[in-house]
Amino acid sequence: MRITRGWALVLLGIPIAFLIAFFVVPFLVVVLSSLQTKDGSWTIANYVKAFSDLYYWDTLLLTFRLSLLVTVSSLLIGYPLAYYMIYVLKSRAIRRLFYVVVVTPLFTSNIVRSFGWMVLLGRRGMINDVLLTLGLVERPLPLLFSETSIVIGLSYIMTPFMVLTVSGVLQNIDRSLEEVAQDLGAGSFMTFLKVTLPLSTPGIIAGSLIVFTLSVSAYVTPSILSGGKKIVMSMLIFQQYGSVFDFNFGATLAITLLITTIILVVGYLLAMERGTRMTAAAT
Amino acid sequence: MSQALFARLGRLALSGFGWLAMLYLLIPLAVIVGSSFTTTAYLSFPPVGLTLRWYGQFLKDPSYLSAIWTSASLAVAAASIATLLGVPAALVLARVRFPGRQALSALLFSPLILPAIVMGAAILQYASALGFARTFAAILAGHTVIVMPYVVRTTLASLVGLDPSFEEAARDLGDTGPGAFFRVTLPLIKPGVIAGALFAVIISWINVELSMFNTTAELMTIPVKLFNYIQYSVDPMIAAVSAGTIYVAVVVVVMLDLTVGIDKAASMNR
Repeated sequence: MRITRGWALVLLGIPIAFLIAFFVVPFLVVVLSSLQTKDGSWTIANYVKAFSDLYYWDTLLLTFRLSLLVTVSSLLIGYPLAYYMIYVLKSRAIRRLFYVVVVTPLFTSNIVRSFGWMVLLGRRGMINDVLLTLGLVERPLPLLFSETSIVIGLSYIMTPFMVLTVSGVLQNIDRSLEEVAQDLGAGSFMTFLKVTLPLSTPGIIAGSLIVFTLSVSAYVTPSILSGGKKIVMSMLIFQQYGSVFDFNFGATLAITLLITTIILVVGYLLAMERGTRMTAAAT
Repeated sequence: MSQALFARLGRLALSGFGWLAMLYLLIPLAVIVGSSFTTTAYLSFPPVGLTLRWYGQFLKDPSYLSAIWTSASLAVAAASIATLLGVPAALVLARVRFPGRQALSALLFSPLILPAIVMGAAILQYASALGFARTFAAILAGHTVIVMPYVVRTTLASLVGLDPSFEEAARDLGDTGPGAFFRVTLPLIKPGVIAGALFAVIISWINVELSMFNTTAELMTIPVKLFNYIQYSVDPMIAAVSAGTIYVAVVVVVMLDLTVGIDKAASMNR
């Protein structure tokens, strides 16, 4: 099917117009209102307020620290699982079963998944039960409503994203490269370390970027699993819109979170690029 | 010899890890489903006894039914609009070369990157300015924006893998113009379109962060209602509602597997 210029304009023009009307312009409204006072005059006072108060810095730091922990732990769980699914599992039926189990949590709302962890992590929840029965602890651990519970809950929520991203990349690796390494006498672990792992770095980078940015803006899981004891940026933002009704300052916090996240992501990508170039130069 | 032994041990450790990871992914969901059947008035896992009482209780509550209805209509409407807009957009991106193509493709995918919470705030402020804040239309607009990238992505994935000779053959046989799309191209990219539409349905169905800015006591989606409840108290009835949403997820996953194949759908969408 060949698409004429006129048709292309219509077929792509309507979706783009829709996105401009309901995505680009609303986003610009947020940007502009972060630079306005309540009565609409221009100001940078909102940003001065956000950056001069240590409280907001602390919240921002906590948000990034938790997101980093979540990224690392979902990588530690997700990568080996993805590797197992693609490299070790031979039967397509069992691999499909694994995909079903990975995707089902993804299709369940964050609330329900956090609710599950709330039950598991409670004072008399399953985790504490097991620890007590095994005699590993003497009294129930205060797991729930802490940074630990936020990290556990968010890592659970993010693991499927990591598995799907990494397995997608592993799937497309040319197997003959690994066969060559084995023919040259490399053991399977050496083959993994020298061939598969380097070739799968795009998956690791993409997966950690997805998980990190989603964790930074996560709202539901921190709210439920912190019990209000820990505040992350998204909770502050919603507070401004939902109970303080200061849309302008809410917008300022939202833009601040977005810009600092972008800075971190770009920094990470640059560091990774330099890292790969240096490894390439060394070998 | 020892190398082969190591390889075997490594494989064994990996298998153990893989199946443990499965357990890890399933347990939090199993806990909710299990405790929704308990006869006790408090949450208990494993359940004490077996009852459907809590399901009866929420199915009799009109506020839950109306929230489910709102969420279902939102999901279907957002996925339909997103499919009607996203499939043509993907078609042009895959087949037509023009200046600015990269930029437009980036624009189509950018809702994936913008935090849902910022998008929720944006829709609320925008709709307030235009006088339709906290309406079904406002939530629908936001949901359509965030689900559209999924449709574009899966459709693009199946268009890129498409053998153009089928379409060339149709053209050589004189089947040209828009009709050829429905007779030739659409059937060939159907898996991508279906996978995208199902992803769109589910992304809308489970959304909280965007919806919560625009919901009211009368206009309530099921995830936001669950969220408001669970923040303050948990009981077997709310476990039954939550379990209900897990059953929906399972049904959609099975539908994906039967129509497209779950492994194919997953690799199309990354």
